[in-house]
Amino acid sequence: MTDRYITEEAFGPFVNAMIASTRVIGPVAKRSTFAYEQLESESDLRLDFDVTVLPPKKVFFPPAQQLVRFDGDTVEGCIEPVDTVLLGVHFYDVKGIDMTDFLFRANYADYNYLAQREATTIVASNIQAISPRAFWDSVGIEVQPKGHDAFLTKIDGGYLLETKTAKGDALITLGDFREATAGEVQAAREVNAAVMGRCPERLAYSTDAVATRVRESFGEEEMWDELAERCFSCGSCNTVCPTCYCFDVSDSWNLDQKSGVRTRYWDACLTREFAAVTGAGGSKENFREHHSSRFRHRFMRKTTYLNEKLGGPACVGCGRCSRACTADIADPVRVITTIMERTS
Amino acid sequence: MGKPKLAFFDFTGCEGCQIEFTNLGEEAILALLEHVDIVEFREAMTETTTERIDIALVEGSFTREKDRERLQSIRKRSRIVIAYGACACTGGINALRNHQDDYHECVYGADARMPHLQSGPALPISAAIKVDYYAHGCPASKDELVRILSALLHNDTPLIPSYPVCVECKRNETVCRFDEGDYCMGMVARAGCGAPCPALGIPCEACRGFVDEPNLRSLETVLMERAGFSQERAIGKSRMFTANLRS
Repeated sequence: MTDRYITEEAFGPFVNAMIASTRVIGPVAKRSTFAYEQLESESDLRLDFDVTVLPPKKVFFPPAQQLVRFDGDTVEGCIEPVDTVLLGVHFYDVKGIDMTDFLFRANYADYNYLAQREATTIVASNIQAISPRAFWDSVGIEVQPKGHDAFLTKIDGGYLLETKTAKGDALITLGDFREATAGEVQAAREVNAAVMGRCPERLAYSTDAVATRVRESFGEEEMWDELAERCFSCGSCNTVCPTCYCFDVSDSWNLDQKSGVRTRYWDACLTREFAAVTGAGGSKENFREHHSSRFRHRFMRKTTYLNEKLGGPACVGCGRCSRACTADIADPVRVITTIMERTS
Repeated sequence: MGKPKLAFFDFTGCEGCQIEFTNLGEEAILALLEHVDIVEFREAMTETTTERIDIALVEGSFTREKDRERLQSIRKRSRIVIAYGACACTGGINALRNHQDDYHECVYGADARMPHLQSGPALPISAAIKVDYYAHGCPASKDELVRILSALLHNDTPLIPSYPVCVECKRNETVCRFDEGDYCMGMVARAGCGAPCPALGIPCEACRGFVDEPNLRSLETVLMERAGFSQERAIGKSRMFTANLRS
């Protein structure tokens, strides 16, 4: 748990040393945007990214994850955690990971998530570029990022690495670090403070005020119909969300019709079949049949239903949903602001 | 009990879905033949059958009244009928003709009046017979067909997605076509293909048809606002594979 400094020249070799000793996943360029991928060399790493298509939760909770293989009478688990350094996680995604950690640990602990989570060292990094739809400096500001093992900040001439855990400390031996000066610690603090207040979108209401008003708006169906009018029920707002954690499980058979695999896939509550169930005698029921009730459900989940458990909203302000929504109706800032303004 | 009997039948279409099945390759097909007997398959064998069939894979759209009788005969002797590929499921690309009247001259020129070219609107086979399951796509996905057949061999209900292609693009972390200044119809297109086209930088043309309850008004708006389409083009675009599913 120390503050260390490394020069810009020594940083590349440090990343390469990590890559040589373990799997390192970090932000890399992908077409016009960025994605977390396994690094082959430090030159792939893009710490100047604004936001990735998918949040880093995919490292522990992959979009499609094989759970068990079966073959006649035998069944064996497929979960094989790999020691990993997850490098370059912005603070809003650290908050997202902390929420999915809590949700997958609560009640019945989900080994399929936790095994890889526990095998991972998270190195957060400061925000060097701000996404056009970001609002992380005005949502859930009372929730502090935690659960990461170290925090890396780019300062003049190099980087400050603030380690938080023994796992974070273990990285120091891989690079040419020295103890940071008080001035360097102060410089990093200023860099991280300077991005706050610079997001292009801003939520002007407190967590509690939003939670109360959104819950109260449940029965205002006309408003929800209007908000959801252009909704495709495509689920993209769910599938890019760092705090969504619903999944579906299905079995598939291999060609031998004897062996096969059980897989879980990310699910999305905006899609039409999500809440469809079969009742007694084969009757069918969809308890969120209309797209506006699914749209409303998402906002209830993100702004109010989980707040007590998580200590704040299940939204970290990354703006991924705003960008992913082709109809551009998913933006939490705009939707919440519309709801809040209807009161007055 | 012997192995279930499987037969392929073709109507109006290019028979590319049958060919796609052969792309499974020798090893996979031989493995599958341990569990089913293929008794009719025009693209791969000469034998035909008039016997009872367990699973009929019907390819192509229903475009001539005289096809009705043949479809009914297949239905009558088949335990399960699967509409195999876009033409059988929705009418497919053939159904584009349903909205035009000059296509004979455009396509065939001087031969436009040849008698064998006279046919009615291109319809899904469900316009003539009851269909149990749909293997969507142009061509139908060979892997999905194997999944459907495997489920049926285990007396299970095949899982055929009704969510849109966007779900699969996100699972693949494909960069959205709209973010690249392109258009796409993945928001209303039925998934199950694994979204290979957008992953290769090609927009989704909804070859698997629409999801249930597609928001077509929103599709038109998005194609106009975000991809710069004219209204006419926005409407026409989504007809390519789904002409029978919209006005």
